[in-house]
Amino acid sequence: MPDESRRRDRLIGLFVFGLVLLNPPILLLFGRGQLLFGLPLLYLYLFAVWGALIAAVAAIAERQRRRQATDRD
Amino acid sequence: MTSWFVILVSAAYLGLLFTIAYYGDRRADQGRSLIGSSAVYALSIAVYCTSWTFYGSVGRASQTGIGFLPIYLGPTLTFCLGWLMLRKILRISKASRITSIADFIAARYGKNAWLAGLVAFIAVIGCIPYIALQLKAVSVSFTVLLHYPDVALPAGAGHPPVLQDTAFWAALILALFSILFGTRHIDTSEHHEGMVAAIAFESLAKLLSFIAVGLFVGVVLFGGFGDLFARAAADPALAALFRFDAAGSGFDWVALTVLAMAAVVCLPRQFQVIVVENVDERHLDRALWLFPLYLLAINLFVLPIALAGRLVLPAGIDPDTFVLTLPMAAAEPWLAVIAFIGGLSAATGMVIVESVALSTMVCNDLVMPMLLRWRRLGLAAQPDLSRLLLSVRRIAIALVLLLGFAYMRQVGERYALVSIGLVSFAAVAQFFPAILFGLFWRRANTLAAFAGIGGGFVVWVYTLLLPSFAQSGWLPASFSESGAFGIDLLRPQALFGLAGLDPITHSLFWSMLVNVGALLGVSLLTGQSVLERTQAALFVGASAGSDDPRLWRGTARLADLQALVGRFLGQARADEAFSQHAQRRGIDLAALTVDGDLVLFAERLLAGAIGSASARVMVETVTEEQPLGLDEVMRILDEASQVIEYSRRLEEKSRELESATAELRQANARLQELDRLKDDFVSTVSHELRTPLTAIRSFSEILHDNPELDPAQRREFLRIVVKESERLSRLISQVLDLAKIEAGKVDWQLADVDLAEVARDAAAATSQLFRDKDARLELAAPDAMPAVTADRDRMMQVTVNLLSNAVKFCPDTGGRVRVSLAATAQDVLLTVSDNGPGIEPRHHETVFERFHQVGDTLTGKPEGTGLGLAICRMIVEHLGGRIWVESEPNKGARFCVRLPRLLPLAKAG
Repeated sequence: MPDESRRRDRLIGLFVFGLVLLNPPILLLFGRGQLLFGLPLLYLYLFAVWGALIAAVAAIAERQRRRQATDRD
Repeated sequence: MTSWFVILVSAAYLGLLFTIAYYGDRRADQGRSLIGSSAVYALSIAVYCTSWTFYGSVGRASQTGIGFLPIYLGPTLTFCLGWLMLRKILRISKASRITSIADFIAARYGKNAWLAGLVAFIAVIGCIPYIALQLKAVSVSFTVLLHYPDVALPAGAGHPPVLQDTAFWAALILALFSILFGTRHIDTSEHHEGMVAAIAFESLAKLLSFIAVGLFVGVVLFGGFGDLFARAAADPALAALFRFDAAGSGFDWVALTVLAMAAVVCLPRQFQVIVVENVDERHLDRALWLFPLYLLAINLFVLPIALAGRLVLPAGIDPDTFVLTLPMAAAEPWLAVIAFIGGLSAATGMVIVESVALSTMVCNDLVMPMLLRWRRLGLAAQPDLSRLLLSVRRIAIALVLLLGFAYMRQVGERYALVSIGLVSFAAVAQFFPAILFGLFWRRANTLAAFAGIGGGFVVWVYTLLLPSFAQSGWLPASFSESGAFGIDLLRPQALFGLAGLDPITHSLFWSMLVNVGALLGVSLLTGQSVLERTQAALFVGASAGSDDPRLWRGTARLADLQALVGRFLGQARADEAFSQHAQRRGIDLAALTVDGDLVLFAERLLAGAIGSASARVMVETVTEEQPLGLDEVMRILDEASQVIEYSRRLEEKSRELESATAELRQANARLQELDRLKDDFVSTVSHELRTPLTAIRSFSEILHDNPELDPAQRREFLRIVVKESERLSRLISQVLDLAKIEAGKVDWQLADVDLAEVARDAAAATSQLFRDKDARLELAAPDAMPAVTADRDRMMQVTVNLLSNAVKFCPDTGGRVRVSLAATAQDVLLTVSDNGPGIEPRHHETVFERFHQVGDTLTGKPEGTGLGLAICRMIVEHLGGRIWVESEPNKGARFCVRLPRLLPLAKAG
């Protein structure tokens, strides 16, 4: 079904995004010892991207769960 | 802090764990599962976080900054793909009752028992250091806590005697727990709900404990995280940790990410909780983000704690103990105890699940195959093998923990926690290519899996394990420094001169190069057996893969199968399973036939207990399976098209049958009609025969009894007798004639016949009839009529018959009959028309049938025999012509005879 394949493609997209954003050389950009609000930028950046990635997966997975739940009604 | 207090606290915690596990099992037995939620499932997956995470991450962060993170980013990325990969693994495993990662890989690659053994062997070798790491963490944290309030580094040199070593007692208690809750009984689903419940609780405990320490350090100790980071930034040595290059080269980062991506699936305990212990596939949907969220939460305070440790604690304190020593330095005994409990839960959770997972593999894939091969006779005699299975698993658990303890005492002391763990990661990562390619690439074959996993493992041993042995003095130190046999290019941690990489990165690069290279190369260069191909197709193709029962053929007895399964599961369980199977198929157990379906069912039951490879071997001992040839597989593949072909042929046949039925029905109707006609004929003939006979007889009697009758009357009576006799003989001769023609016994006198002459003779012969009826006969014939080939007498008979019929139906007054002749190039046409009542169209055909008489039989006695026209038609058709009638009611009838001028050859004889 188109829904399923779209969800699959989105998750693959997220994976590729995460792979690029959470690895060098992007990390070299943020990892030069900069501080933001007194906190290390690299530390902030990694956790922010990580959190965003989890949130995106959650959005996709939960929408799927809700749809399954309504399907079952 | 006194040792009895710490022991008491530990015992209380472990007691709680036992209670939870016991309760979980009880609830499972009652059918009210405690672990039926995605949150518990996600928490159980968090067994990924061990003392490595709890203590080791801080230690690593204190040296490399964010260098600890790839180990947790990797699993997050893997779980992004969980919907594709993990779900597929889950479905396949549920359908085939996979019980371990060795089982899974073996099942994918042709159910190869040797491959399963290899994977199990590598898993054990690879995970022993990892278990040792946990024991070491327990031992160290226990010792550290004992020194409270002194924050002193435990004396690294020398071990206490074995019986005083905390790690030994920890190993013992954990072995007990694993045996109690991991090997309660042999179960086809291999679910250990009590254990999973306890593990989920442990995950919660370590998370809360770590966050508590983190918040305390940040908020209480430093008055805010901003403050903590500001102080760290002021210290150049610590500020360096904010930089990416503190974590090593970019290669190391990528290598660790890849390693963690693989490990989160390939570690035996991860496979156990994610796949084997999963009770509902839908739990995975939520775990896809809950588990990464857990990882994020437990790592949030790693860097602050590490920085705080380096800021606050005196140099020389092992950074791996910061989580424990920071609260101690702050004189917070209860927080220290909480931290200790957190570390304990992280260690115990890992050890329990890992030992259970390893014991399943050791039992199913190493010990049982050997026992079954070597002592098959001895085992065959044993009626119940389920006890043996359990014993093997229990011994395996004890052995695994013992090995871990030994490794810790011998080698572990010299390494940081994370380094030990990474060695294990690198070992189990060797399974990843075989799994990944196995799931998505059909052509990956068994030989390639052997070559890939085996080659990768050998490289791992050489580049990581042996150097660690060299470091602990089991091998000469020169092995590490100058390579095997003193060859510099073979230096284990700078193979072929590849220097400058972290040993883990270095090992991962070479082992994966060999592993993936061999897997791809061998797959591309060699073929697959039929079984391999079917298994590959099931794994790659079907999202809910299952064996195809059609792929089995052979013979087996139900009792043998039942006994076999009973020996491993216990007879009662086996019987129950078989009756349920019979019930599902809606038949009685006794009526169950041994087909592919049933054999597969038995094999799956066994696979749940002893693994798919061993199960296949066992089933083969009681079934006589004929090898499945390639042509048979092709035939199975062809079956679909054959079915279509069959149905097409069936349709054709049924159409043929339908038309045949219709023909038969018609024929039957015709037969009935003929039968009726025959009956009518018989009665007609008897009537016809009797009427003249009666007349003849009665007049003859009158003449006989009355000799004084006057001569005129006598003559009249005699005339009637003669006339009736003539009629009688005519009837009889016609019946005979008909029979003769029908039987083909007529002697046809073929000659050139002039039909005009025949018509004139016939008119002369019947002139008396016309005179009697006072009807007029007209004859119209062209002057020169061509001759036709025919039997003159027969044609005479036809013409006379037509004329007498015509005159018979003429009206009593003004009757008129016209005979005309015409000729064309090919044939000659003779018509006889009358002005009688005519014939209805529905009788046009039937008048020519035998015994058929048109006319109202009620108005008078039948005027003919009903045979005349039938005989005419036979004669005309025999001569190659055609006879028909054209008529409408009340407009007279016109009989036509068309004869070919030359008799067709076929009829000439």
